[in-house]
Amino acid sequence: MRRFRAWLVRLAGMFRKKRSEAELAEELESHAQMHVEENIRAGMSPEAARRDALMRLGGLEQTKERYRDQRSLPWLDALLQDLRFALRMLATRPSFSAVAILTLALGIGATTAVFSVVDRVLFRSLPYPHDDRLVSFGVKAPFEGIEFMLAPEYALLRSQSTPFESMTSITPGGADCDITEENPVRLSCALVESTFLSTLGVRPIIGRDFVREDDRPNPARVAFLSYGLWKSRFASDPSVAGKTLSLDGKPVQIIGVLPAEFEMPNLGAADMLLPQALDDSALDRKNPRVVLRAFARLKPGVTIEQARAGLEPWFQDSLRFVPPQFRAEVSLRVRSLRDRQIENSRVGAWVLFGAVIAVLMLACTNVANLMLARTVSRQRELAVRAALGASRARLVRQTLTESLLLALLGGIAGCGLAYLLLQAFISIAPEGIVRLRQASLDFRVLRFGLAVALLSGIFFGVMPALADPAPESLTGRSMGPAGRGFLRHALVAGQIAGSVILLAGAGLLLRSLWQIQSIPLGLATQQVVTAQISLAEHRYPDTPKQIAFFRDVETRLERIPGVTYLALSDTLPPSGGMQATFYASIDVPGRQRSSQGTGGMVGWRMVTPNYFPALGIRILRGRGFMDQDRAPTENPVILSEALADKMFPQEEPIGKQLRFFSFGTQGPWRTIVGVAADVKNNGLIAPADPEFYIPWKNDPETYVRRAHVTFRTSLSPSAVVPWIRTEIAELDPTVPVESSTMQARVGKLTERPRFDAILLSLFAGIGMVLAGHIWSCELLCDAAHARVRSADGPGSNTAPNPGNGASEPGAMDVGRRDAGTARCVVLRAAVAVAAI
Amino acid sequence: MGDKADVWQGTLALMVLKTLESMGPLHGYGIARRIEQVSGDLLNVNYGTLYPALLKLEQEGYIDSEWGVSDNNRKAKYYKLTRAGRKQLAKEAREWQQTTDILARFLTEPERTS
Repeated sequence: MRRFRAWLVRLAGMFRKKRSEAELAEELESHAQMHVEENIRAGMSPEAARRDALMRLGGLEQTKERYRDQRSLPWLDALLQDLRFALRMLATRPSFSAVAILTLALGIGATTAVFSVVDRVLFRSLPYPHDDRLVSFGVKAPFEGIEFMLAPEYALLRSQSTPFESMTSITPGGADCDITEENPVRLSCALVESTFLSTLGVRPIIGRDFVREDDRPNPARVAFLSYGLWKSRFASDPSVAGKTLSLDGKPVQIIGVLPAEFEMPNLGAADMLLPQALDDSALDRKNPRVVLRAFARLKPGVTIEQARAGLEPWFQDSLRFVPPQFRAEVSLRVRSLRDRQIENSRVGAWVLFGAVIAVLMLACTNVANLMLARTVSRQRELAVRAALGASRARLVRQTLTESLLLALLGGIAGCGLAYLLLQAFISIAPEGIVRLRQASLDFRVLRFGLAVALLSGIFFGVMPALADPAPESLTGRSMGPAGRGFLRHALVAGQIAGSVILLAGAGLLLRSLWQIQSIPLGLATQQVVTAQISLAEHRYPDTPKQIAFFRDVETRLERIPGVTYLALSDTLPPSGGMQATFYASIDVPGRQRSSQGTGGMVGWRMVTPNYFPALGIRILRGRGFMDQDRAPTENPVILSEALADKMFPQEEPIGKQLRFFSFGTQGPWRTIVGVAADVKNNGLIAPADPEFYIPWKNDPETYVRRAHVTFRTSLSPSAVVPWIRTEIAELDPTVPVESSTMQARVGKLTERPRFDAILLSLFAGIGMVLAGHIWSCELLCDAAHARVRSADGPGSNTAPNPGNGASEPGAMDVGRRDAGTARCVVLRAAVAVAAI
Repeated sequence: MGDKADVWQGTLALMVLKTLESMGPLHGYGIARRIEQVSGDLLNVNYGTLYPALLKLEQEGYIDSEWGVSDNNRKAKYYKLTRAGRKQLAKEAREWQQTTDILARFLTEPERTS
């Protein structure tokens, strides 16, 4: 405390030097006088008295110097002096300063903006306490990208001893749920086990946690509100716990509110948390039908590998219920929650971060080069200062102060730029980039930006500063950059490497983007409009109601003018998500089922007859569906070309039969009536799965709550969209309709690769500009050197060179330069090759 | 004069505080003389260390200074102890006492055991 006070006083002491200087002089003078008087009283002569006093005072100036050091903070004093000087230097060379600051701002701004995105993905802790102990675990199987658990197996594991402190589960996909009271809205509800909040370590800001009883099949229904819903619908009412809400027509009691930073471990949407309350039939091991996502908190000190080993006995046991031919393709997976969340983003994040670091390095080497060039022109000044007694350290400190000041200014401008860049990223980014929307320039990111600025300041400041001013520069003869040739060439080589890497990366991305965009989809995108309709469970609880609704939709929409073809289907290419079955589980009469593996996945869709003409999918053999195929007695099927080739190589598929497991039972025998052309059905990048089509029937065996309507129209597609909405709203205004043109649907799928390519091209562009700038400088320099060399050969150097032979140093100089140029060429070539 | 010891940095502050406590407000010259006198002229207060030390004490808030007039009508800066300085003096004196006691025991021990 005292020390701090003293520090403050000393800090203040910096600003009233003149006054205290005068006071000190007066005080010391009076001290001396008293001494003199005393000496005289003791009998000395006045001269002797004065001399004795001064001797005893021990050197007036030294005393003053020590006093000054104590009065203020000498290092701060020197720093301020350096800063003033640095500011003056920057001000006298405005173009140099502007270029340097701008370059740094670009580098630091881009780095900071990207860091703010990447930080959320790679580094920042998840919003759960001790998030490093949270894992996702389950079974990995070929038909599902993310590990899952069958409910009965999960229940069994829960009753055993595990490496987990606690475990919990959620129902994948959650549930749509509607608030069915005044101001009805559709929400996303997450269905979770009662241990959910305690396992994640989330504390509700209002209310109690779930209790075990909430897991029972028919409990009094309870729910947590998300912070957002609490704020928007309940106006942050602090007494909301205990209130009742009508959800899907049934009362639900609100028991608490989640904190603002809460997020689902699978990053799904959750306006409300409801207990999943599995009933006993879901826990039947013989007939598992409920799939869960499981999460757990490891016991302290337990590693993920140990946890995996701990789960192995349970996994082996549960394998008994997997058909033997599938066992080889099923594995146990335990991984950290972060790994699960950023699965697809990790590589991308690192690539982006690497690219932007390359840009930053380019910017730094650029400024380093500028500083180097300027140091050369300042050699004389530095030499003078060295001659006047400035220590080497003092000179280095001076140069460092200047570069740090530059870096700081560049950093401040960079943070502004980072803000703009981040806004731009977010506005052009497609949906589904992990955590992008949370990215912001908060304190942590700004600190990173500052650290980057300081580091780069040191980086490009130290190099020129280390150069010792040569005594000859006192003469005023220009020395040229010869001595630091190697350093400069290394810098240039580094730049070439950086920009080549950036360019190569951007080029590759652009090429794959081009490939993605020119992939033949196998379906028409022009003049095609689609609409997705999903029915709320509480309004359409049973199959007849659903069927009736979609029948009405069909008849109504057919009346829209300009519709050439209208089709209904349960799913729609080219995005994934269709129903699927194992290839091995499709039966063909007279054939043994394959006993080896699953054979991969085969997708299938229910479509109305016009599906093929509406989407422009060609029927290659046989026929398409007809209206009579929708009769309950008919069971036709159409295969995709890939599936036909796989199932019936060298055979005529038409007329053959097959059956597969659907809607929970073994389906009827179906007759193959046609073969359709292949269609991209797994997104644009992943390879397409073989698929088959069955007719959409108005038949109570099939239940559909979601459907896609596809139109082919002769009118402008965008004109049709509002008609669709109106027609469906007349049927039922509460049904949400997502309508868009096929072109827009496909465009959405290319958004992500386009975004990646744009970003990397942007960085490569910046890198090129920076590198190009330096190359042109280098070429000019080299050209100037060459001219100088050819103009005055080594022997004819007549410039005055005091204290040395006139011609010898010149000759050496040129020799050194030649060596430098050769080295530089070799270096550049080597680095360029290495980079490629 | 050459055989007189210079004052150690750390102890000078304590001596200054003690001097101001026993003598009341005093100027720099007076403090120096007093310390020399009390030491029986064994110590030589280096003036170059005295003033920085005074400044440091003042910055830490243990002493206060103001300009006044000396006995023989000379303008001089007078230093006086503050309340914090009094506390600090008591604390440091106690610590110093402890240190010397311990050292004394160490230095006398061999004679007792032998």
